[in-house]
Amino acid sequence: MNTSVPGAGVGPRPALVSWIDHHRRAASQSAQRLLAEPVQSLFTCLAVGIALALPAALWALLQNAEIIAGNIQTTARFTLLMEQGVDIEGARLTAETLEIRDEIERVEVIDRRDALAQFAEDIGLVELVDNLDSNPLPHSLQLHPVASLTPADLDDLAQVLTEVAGIEQVVFDTQWQTRLQAAIAALQRLTAGVGVLMVLGAVLILGNTIRLGIEARREEITVIKLIGGGDGFARRPLLYAGLWSGAAGGFFGAILVALLFWFLAAPVDRLFDLYDVDSRFTGLGWSGALALTAVGGLAGLLSAWSTAFIHLRRIQPR
Amino acid sequence: MINFERVSKRFEHHDALRDVSLDIDAGEMVFLTGHSGAGKSTMLRLLMLLDRPTSGRLVVNGNDVATIRGRRIAKYRQDFGIVFQDHQLLFDRSIFDNVALPLEIAGFHPRDIGRRVRAALDKVGLLGRESANPIVLSGGEQQRVGIARAVVARPKILVADEPTGNLDPGLSAEIMALFEAFHRVGVTVVVASHDLALISRLRHRIITLKEGRLIGGVGP
Repeated sequence: MNTSVPGAGVGPRPALVSWIDHHRRAASQSAQRLLAEPVQSLFTCLAVGIALALPAALWALLQNAEIIAGNIQTTARFTLLMEQGVDIEGARLTAETLEIRDEIERVEVIDRRDALAQFAEDIGLVELVDNLDSNPLPHSLQLHPVASLTPADLDDLAQVLTEVAGIEQVVFDTQWQTRLQAAIAALQRLTAGVGVLMVLGAVLILGNTIRLGIEARREEITVIKLIGGGDGFARRPLLYAGLWSGAAGGFFGAILVALLFWFLAAPVDRLFDLYDVDSRFTGLGWSGALALTAVGGLAGLLSAWSTAFIHLRRIQPR
Repeated sequence: MINFERVSKRFEHHDALRDVSLDIDAGEMVFLTGHSGAGKSTMLRLLMLLDRPTSGRLVVNGNDVATIRGRRIAKYRQDFGIVFQDHQLLFDRSIFDNVALPLEIAGFHPRDIGRRVRAALDKVGLLGRESANPIVLSGGEQQRVGIARAVVARPKILVADEPTGNLDPGLSAEIMALFEAFHRVGVTVVVASHDLALISRLRHRIITLKEGRLIGGVGP
């Protein structure tokens, strides 16, 4: 500390210096107070942690759902059934024409005989199919669009394909993808709503704890006010108590989410495999845990500030 | 230093102070006396801005207290050292931390806080007990911690409300001797006490209140 500060060593120091100093002291004293009652503090932090864990877990689940949804979209395929009169050469010609288009990655031609053989094998009735007089299946094309197309683009492409000469039917259901997107959007709203409610819940939990703290320290606050301490001086330790409890609660919340995701990881990774998704099931990660701790701290600060604002002015020396 | 100008204070059903005019000079030591309910505490409460006059003017240190509102109240109270009948110590912390509180509020450096707290405890004869909890002290010792806290920030005005109310005569005399010592170094001291036998032995002005009126200001 700069000892040449005017007044240092003889009396009150400049307001800013003593203000910072009191912040430091209030920060460490309120942490000590919380640690002095470990059980009560732990329960408060756990309650806050649980309140914050629910929306955080929902959010992380949605991140994973979006990865799956995005992956499904990139593996989208069209099946084009040719008209019965079109022979294999006609089908190849159509395929070559289509492959020129920008939005189409590649087109495979599937011979009607191969298709029937595959179908017979799939249903396990090879002999029965062999005895068929004629092949009811047409030649068909497997069309792979480029990965960057949106569901709307895919819809447009499907429309274009139905108008190509020689194509009887375009088999591609984009509706379920649109539905999945809509479901994810709805769940995002739900997460945001639940998030707001739960953070509010955390604020109320902490507010109640801090109100009890103010009641317990009524005498101290009265004395502080009597001997010339302002509301700011009395409020500071409360703000830090809120900040610490909230941040600890957020950190607990991150741990709870990590435990939950560890518990979920095996079945969800299997789901990812089934959808041919390369990435693994991911939780909040370090940055998410940090963010949750920060959200907890902010909620605590907000709660302490509002509680102190309401209750501190009611405590006046008698 | 302290000027009451025709000050009245009316509570819902009675007049606590009626038309009181009184001047207390800087560096003076005065006693406020009278039966309980005579208005001693009301005068001190007005002085500390715990209540406001119903009419009249109170000027402290050149400032009309009616102009002191909001955040300035805390700053105003820092000019005072207050001693309470029930000493109002905080039992969740050490004697040192109790006495240090006004210095923390005023923003002293921790090093100065240590020096001043020990000096104040030395004056009241409790040096060496600073790390104890005040709950282990006797009533007279607790009151001395209260006095140390009141004087540690070197206030301009020392106000005491029945500081010897719960003490035996010997301890009461010791406490009053402490107040006189601060008066001798230039602090304005106002002591409310109904212990006439004790205060009349000390040679200071005695202001007597009866039913809210000033009935006498006997000089030393």
